[in-house]
Amino acid sequence: MAKNRRHFIIATVLIVICTLLVYWVLDTVLLKSAAAVVEAGPIDYLFDLHIWLIAFLFALVAVFMCYALIVFRARGDEGDGEHIHGNGLLEIIWTVVPCFIVVYFSWIATTMLIDLTRPNPDEYVIIAEGRQWSWLFTYPESGAVTPDLVLPVDTPIRMDLTSDDVLHSFWVPEFRVKQDNVPGMVTHVRFTPNLIGEYVLRCAELCGTNHSGMLATVRVVSQEEFKLWQSEQVALLQE
Amino acid sequence: MSLFTLGIARGLVGQVLGMVIGMLLTCAVRILLGWEAWAAEPAWTVGAVCSIIGFLLGVGSLDDWLKWTKGIPTPMHHGPPVDKPAWTRYFSVDYNHKVIGVQYTVWGILLLMVGGTVAMIFRTELARSGLQFLGLDLYNSFIGMHGMIMIFAILLGVGGMGNYLVPLMIGAEDMAFPRLNALGFWFNVPGSILLLLSLFVGGWDAGWTAYPPLSARGPIGYQLFFLGVFAIGLSSIVGSLNLLVTILRMRPAGMSLFRMPIFCWAVFATSLLQLTATQLIGTSFLMVSVQRAIGMGFFDPRGILGEVSPMVGGGDPVLFQHLFWFYSHPAVYIFVLPGLGIVSELLPVFSRKPLFGYKWIALSSLAIGIVGFIVWGHHMFVSGYNDILRIPFMYATLLVAIPTGVKFFSWLGTIWGGKIHFDTPMLFVLGAISVFLIGGLTGPILATVPTDFPLHDSYFVVGHFHATMFGGFVFPFFAALYYWFPKVTGRMYNETLGKIHFFIMTPAFWVQTLGQMGVGVMGMRRRIADYDPTLGAGQIESWQLAVTIAGFAIAFGVMLMLWNFFQNAEVGVAAGDNPWRSRSPEWQIPSPIPEHSFPAPLRVVGEPYDYGLADSGYVTTASPGDD
Ligand code: HEM
Ligand SMILES: [Cu+2]
Ligand SMILES: [Cu+2]
Repeated sequence: MAKNRRHFIIATVLIVICTLLVYWVLDTVLLKSAAAVVEAGPIDYLFDLHIWLIAFLFALVAVFMCYALIVFRARGDEGDGEHIHGNGLLEIIWTVVPCFIVVYFSWIATTMLIDLTRPNPDEYVIIAEGRQWSWLFTYPESGAVTPDLVLPVDTPIRMDLTSDDVLHSFWVPEFRVKQDNVPGMVTHVRFTPNLIGEYVLRCAELCGTNHSGMLATVRVVSQEEFKLWQSEQVALLQE
Repeated sequence: MSLFTLGIARGLVGQVLGMVIGMLLTCAVRILLGWEAWAAEPAWTVGAVCSIIGFLLGVGSLDDWLKWTKGIPTPMHHGPPVDKPAWTRYFSVDYNHKVIGVQYTVWGILLLMVGGTVAMIFRTELARSGLQFLGLDLYNSFIGMHGMIMIFAILLGVGGMGNYLVPLMIGAEDMAFPRLNALGFWFNVPGSILLLLSLFVGGWDAGWTAYPPLSARGPIGYQLFFLGVFAIGLSSIVGSLNLLVTILRMRPAGMSLFRMPIFCWAVFATSLLQLTATQLIGTSFLMVSVQRAIGMGFFDPRGILGEVSPMVGGGDPVLFQHLFWFYSHPAVYIFVLPGLGIVSELLPVFSRKPLFGYKWIALSSLAIGIVGFIVWGHHMFVSGYNDILRIPFMYATLLVAIPTGVKFFSWLGTIWGGKIHFDTPMLFVLGAISVFLIGGLTGPILATVPTDFPLHDSYFVVGHFHATMFGGFVFPFFAALYYWFPKVTGRMYNETLGKIHFFIMTPAFWVQTLGQMGVGVMGMRRRIADYDPTLGAGQIESWQLAVTIAGFAIAFGVMLMLWNFFQNAEVGVAAGDNPWRSRSPEWQIPSPIPEHSFPAPLRVVGEPYDYGLADSGYVTTASPGDD
């Protein structure tokens, strides 16, 4: 028993070190795209929480496994190991503790999801139609129709997604959120751009031959520029 | 000896004839209706259905039942065929579960090689951005083809392990229904042939998930693909029924459920899933097939005036996804539970220590299976179904992590304090744990909806499920191949080559799966023929190259293994009856196993994993009076 205690102390130290190491590695090598919407904040926070969990659980199993493999290797000895059939208390612990972790994560994700999808009375509505293999955006407010998506910064946006042919999916990596375009129904995705710049909308649901090329330019512009752009579009329409 | 003494040759001829007859039948009906005689899609569809029947008739797996309808008795024949060389039984209908197990396994390995080759082709294409040598349509066909061929291969591997091992482990003479068992195997052959043939009639470009409306519009290849899957599904259903009955009804005296070798528990849980969920993928694919063939608008909201047949619409594409995932989520556990069972089975042998928490491991398989039925919505978080329902699906999905965790911790408990030997099978078991750990740990981040938004349909998912499938199937399957090779052939494989295989394949796989996840986080979508080289601050191409190189290394490792087996199957060193000093029943009998596995009925006298308990046995063939 005393011997086991020493093993456990060493293992615990190794687990702490290994957790920090794995977290650091994952944090450095995983290159997330820039965050260009308000919603990226909470999503990236939860992402980070998951990375901590992954680092810890990985360390827990990997350290115990490698440790056991080294310490308990057979060393040319043909005998048998200890005759232990299990330990009810341990089994209960490692069933119950994860339950709490699971509920904790689900709970955070639930409240976050409700926030992310809550309708906002001031939201600006744009219709995005996916078609094999291009996008078409309609601005109901002005009647403008364009192949590029232009968005006013700091404005809550609701995209109404439609399709007349097959499934597509609206995804701008910098916006994090994603939603399918489904023929026969209108689906919604909400976000608030907060970083002026140019991004690429990438269809994320396999939709046939040129799915990989089903892209559209997304420009997040200042609110003044957006107004200007919109009046230009209206003028174009009236010509 | 003519070629046609081989059942498989007759079967292939039967398949071709069936196809031709089916096509002629379609033309005849169309002529009677006053339509143009030839229409490719209905002709191929009916032809494909008839070709499956043609194969089964040709190979002879329906012979006995047909004789029964005429009242002709068909006594069970044991042993190799009387008037032909013994090896021919592996190419013909045979009712011995050991033969059928080998048939499943070998056919599975062949498909694994075909699927792997397809993967290597498109992986080469992805090594650099830009399209080098594959066209867009061919690329799209290839990724779906790779996925589905691999699924077939896995199901065959699972069937192979279950058929070969379960009767031996519970000391049964054979499976409960030997004829059904043979039929179960032979469904796979015409099924996989249809799948491969589909590439030559236009392919199919919607991935293995084949979501309509896309799959309802593409080339004729879809029909062959759907019917191929249907045939494999039938195999799963009859095969799992057989295993369930065998496990429940054919155990020897004294072997209570909690005294079975743990692998049988894994097979039991797997078979429950297979028996009850497979119908759903069959139904969903059949419905798309019917939608295409005669214009039933199951999954299409709008009518189309197709060239094939007009369709009125009124259907729902999301419904398909529900039906599909109701099978295909449990299916992922069908793929991995037997493999996890192999891990639990081998760890005690090579650690020389009892399995830690037998009942917990056994019941965790069942728990995973049961909870697995209520989580399908996690594949559809952004598909447009009722927003609120995403929350219960999220809870249920994360719940699966708990029994999965129980397995990991119990495995650690098993090796802790053991006397661990590092033979090749054990190495692959340890590799399996490390890889399945990566796969399992990357599940929860996909299960919480907000973090699934960016990751869904990205390469991250590709990394996740390759890790789960390699950790849960491929590594344990290879472990099983190395471990039971001496039992099946009586010869030992080359240990050095086995170790080289392991040390090439394991690190390569880590690179591959982590690389896939990495490019996914950068923003690369899955199922794209070409990617944006500016992703990940321009680093994506070097990651892709690393993944491709790792993929080739894995392929090389697999070839090394096959060569090792091929070399040693006939001329290797004699392995002896029990080279691993296992307590399991199949190791207490000669290698290779004689036609009738056990000389006398087994009797259970102890626990299966009492390593370290002196003078304890698990099974004996002696009757109580003998001692
Ligand atoms: C800890 C347990 C696991 C959790 C929480 C989990 C969660 C998930 C989730 C949420 C997805 C959907 C991702 C998306 O499309 O956005 C997914 C995909 C997938 N998972 Fe897992 N998973 C787990 C274990 C497994 C296991 C054991 C397998 C067995 C092979 C597996 C195989 C797959 C496959 C094949 C897919 C992708 C299917 C596709 O879209 O083509 N997962 N997993
Ligand atoms: Cu697309
Ligand atoms: Cu799933």
